[in-house]
Amino acid sequence: MRILTSWLRDFVTFKASAQELADVLTMRGFEVASIEPPPYATELNDEDAILDLEITANRPDCLSIFGIAREVSTIYNTDLDLPILDSEPSKDKDSTLTVTLKNSELCPRYATLITDVTIEPSPAWLVARLKAIGIRPINNVVDTTNYVMYELGHPMHAFDLERLNNHELQIRQAALGEKIQTIDGQERILQENMLVIADAKKVQAIAGVMGGTNSEVTTTTRVVVFESAYFEPTSIRRTSKQLGLSTDSSYRFERGTDIKAPIVALRRVQAILTKIKAGHSRGPIVDRYPQPKKSVVIELRHQQVGRVLGIDIDSQFIVDKLKRLGFEVKKDKTEDDNLSWKVEVPTYRVDVNLEIDLIEEIARYHGYDKLPSSFPDLKQPPGPTEQWIPRQRLLRRLLTANGCSEAINYGFIEQAAAVPFLLDPNDIVKISNPLSEKFSVMRPALLPGLIDALVRNRRREHHDIRLFEIGKRFSHNDGETLGLGVVMTGLGKPKYWNDSDRQADFFDLKGVIENIFNELGITPEFKITETPILVQGRSSTVNTITEKGVEIKLGYLGQLNPTIAIARGFPEIGNEIYVAELDLEKLEQVKSTHDQFVAKSVPRYPSIVRDLAIIISETLPANSVRETIRAAASVTLASVWEFDRYKDKSISKGYVSLALRLTFRAEDRTLTDSEVDKTINAIVGALKEQHDAKLRQ
Amino acid sequence: MTSPSDIDQLKTKFLAELETVSSQSDLQDLRDRYLGRKRGAVAVILKTVAQAPTDQRPSLGSKINKLKKDIEQALLARKKVFSPLQDRTNEIDVTLTGRKVLLGHRHPLTILREEIEDIFLNLGFEILQGPEAENEYHNFEALNMPAAHPARDMQDTFYLQDALPPQQLSSRPATLLRTHTSGMQIRYMETRTPPVRIIAPGLVYRRDNPDPTHSPMFQQIEGLLVGDRVTMTDLKGTLECFLQQLFSSDTHVMFRPSFFPYTEPSAEVFITCVFCNGDGCSICKKTGWLEVLGSGMVHPTVFEAVGYDPERYTGWAFGVGIDRLALLKYRVEDIRLFYDNDLRLLEQFSF
Repeated sequence: MRILTSWLRDFVTFKASAQELADVLTMRGFEVASIEPPPYATELNDEDAILDLEITANRPDCLSIFGIAREVSTIYNTDLDLPILDSEPSKDKDSTLTVTLKNSELCPRYATLITDVTIEPSPAWLVARLKAIGIRPINNVVDTTNYVMYELGHPMHAFDLERLNNHELQIRQAALGEKIQTIDGQERILQENMLVIADAKKVQAIAGVMGGTNSEVTTTTRVVVFESAYFEPTSIRRTSKQLGLSTDSSYRFERGTDIKAPIVALRRVQAILTKIKAGHSRGPIVDRYPQPKKSVVIELRHQQVGRVLGIDIDSQFIVDKLKRLGFEVKKDKTEDDNLSWKVEVPTYRVDVNLEIDLIEEIARYHGYDKLPSSFPDLKQPPGPTEQWIPRQRLLRRLLTANGCSEAINYGFIEQAAAVPFLLDPNDIVKISNPLSEKFSVMRPALLPGLIDALVRNRRREHHDIRLFEIGKRFSHNDGETLGLGVVMTGLGKPKYWNDSDRQADFFDLKGVIENIFNELGITPEFKITETPILVQGRSSTVNTITEKGVEIKLGYLGQLNPTIAIARGFPEIGNEIYVAELDLEKLEQVKSTHDQFVAKSVPRYPSIVRDLAIIISETLPANSVRETIRAAASVTLASVWEFDRYKDKSISKGYVSLALRLTFRAEDRTLTDSEVDKTINAIVGALKEQHDAKLRQ
Repeated sequence: MTSPSDIDQLKTKFLAELETVSSQSDLQDLRDRYLGRKRGAVAVILKTVAQAPTDQRPSLGSKINKLKKDIEQALLARKKVFSPLQDRTNEIDVTLTGRKVLLGHRHPLTILREEIEDIFLNLGFEILQGPEAENEYHNFEALNMPAAHPARDMQDTFYLQDALPPQQLSSRPATLLRTHTSGMQIRYMETRTPPVRIIAPGLVYRRDNPDPTHSPMFQQIEGLLVGDRVTMTDLKGTLECFLQQLFSSDTHVMFRPSFFPYTEPSAEVFITCVFCNGDGCSICKKTGWLEVLGSGMVHPTVFEAVGYDPERYTGWAFGVGIDRLALLKYRVEDIRLFYDNDLRLLEQFSF
């Protein structure tokens, strides 16, 4: 809100420069966004500047010059002069208007004043002030209501009396479908819960939001009805939202106006009209206020102030500042330890209802900058660290150590990107008010976002891309679950001048996944699978088997179906892309072998290494070979892994040569060659029997 | 049978061969031939001592040992000549770039979040995480923001077309994307009794169109401390400690009154502008200060919502946007870069 310092000086005297004033107001909670000279001045002048204040939603009383003047008088401990009001007209000269308050719940108070006016442009001083705070002048009557709204914070409306059917005003709820053309020229269709001001026939104003063109004050208007009311904030807010119409008036009413202001504002309007010779009131003010509101009285305990703020604040300071802000303060208990006051809250302070609200006022005026710093007493040790914290950190470290960079993508994506990742199309979680089609559904998996990020990087001439993301996925069946996604394309290892290049393949990604499981202390099971997301024959599920033998599905990995990436803009002749997605929520529940980890002793006796090359059917999975070897070997087999796999002319079609390295070791002795030979024979026998494997000569 | 002269001859032969050695590997061969444990010449001759008459054995033995030492010394002296420092045939270009292992990088927001988490872990706080899809109660109502509250305008909300099943001990289906992490205050306090010392990091969503300083999704960290004697001066001290550890020990911290429905008194917290050191620049709008977070004393209404007695307990809370801190700390010029995942940005964060 823009305020003019010269206008402020109508009510309060202060010496501060515009900058100094801006600084103290800012430190009291009214942030000054800018200081400018008024439009009629050429340069900044301390006597007269425009301050643009940001007023927080809890302080509608400061959406006015007078409200800010009250704060300034409290800051500088100076007197606050009240605005000049017209004396209330004593006699009803002409009872020309009937006012019927039909809904005192939504409109607890409704007051009117009738004035004979001569419509003219406003005098120069009034025009200058309005222009300075950014209001376009219209005519003396409209300008005066605007002037008073900015001065006192109370919005009013002016009707042309002669346009009101039957010279009647009803404050009632709208009928469904009732219409009004508002002064912005729009036709509005109303709903039953909206409060309106109507005459005998039709709606003349949407209460507290905007008036209608029909009874608008024009150059031909001769008699004006000024409306000054208190409308229930929630009702005004709802109406304003439903109509998509926010005005200076609705902005103030929905935050809460002063229920005592309607009469003061009308008298102020009349005082200005008299001053600018624009009209004479017919008086008296009609005031419909069936249930006068009781003022709020709060007990304020001196001790409680210290308990919240952490320092002792002088009781005289508290009383002085509260009084300047308009609170009535009476001593309640006076014993030293239990000093307390009964504080009556002025009606314009709609934000103050509890003792803590008063403590905030005290803190504001004491100055947050003057509060010392302390450190909280820790009376209990912190709770145990949740397991997900070290696990997620470890995952990130592992993935970066495996060459993957971390991505963070928006939780919402385009529906087309989500669809391939949904098994059940009804599972999709849609946003009802998305920013755009690009962000219309919640991601069902992390891969769509990662694929898009990969495509963007590819477009920026990155060819070797490895990304991962840890984040939430959303579906109606599973709700919100934490997942890990990995995408990989390009070289399998960094280029080097004396090394040969190799493109990343399934086994690069599988190695990453195996590393993760190893470090997490969980044993993965890989099984070939079929899914439209992945290339057939190059896709695997990742599961684990619990101690009780239950298989838990944790995710999948494989080569991404190229059509998915191409649909997102990846080049048609681009490299293969490998992807994986794991359910961390489920992974979290798997018992880790690292729980209560105990180290094994370092081997005391040397190991013996034997290589075994066999010819087997090329469709025989390597894990079957390993299982057969492990089953046939004695406990001395420490490890087995494949170090070579090839086909050439010497090997029959449909067969492959697989070379395995076996390491044998015993805990209690040095193994002898003959001992190992015996085991090898047993292994070879088992391989022959179960897989028809032949030793390569 | 071995005689002392055999030993001398062996030495002469060795010295002659040593003369012909021309490389490090020749030297290794020579060493193996003479000092090899089983088949080296010295070992072989030592074995023959056993066949010598008893009285000659000690003197033969000591002579062989001396031979062994002499050979070792001579080899060592010669080795110095062939050390890599001298051998020019093995030279490489040490300025060639090294062979790299592929390393990825954590996201800048993760780096900063973990740094903040560590500061608060050290201060004895627990870390929590919670759902991104929330219900009205936890996101707004329990935080003193009833349906018609104007403060809801401060946080424009994304709603879900159909509710998701309830999350984490709540019976209420999730109908919106959380607009802040403050709901975690409620979720935690509902199930625990004081003292409370938590932080809750996480993603939050607001219906803002992306621009250089706004993102419809961003990361926050919520902090909450509740106890018998928790004061606003504690809030100041803790946040000063946090911000000085995060930025620099010279950072000044300023508290200014503000308004949040769930704290009272409420404070906005500013730090010395990192761009101009407080002198005033275009980024801090010539004020010398940058707003970094919102905080305040927990509103008694919030305590009542979770069944804490506001007469017995006081507390403070704060919420900080990690993205904003990252923009300031790493001087990234556009918040949208954090969600673009351009490797040219990510690869800079090699820590």
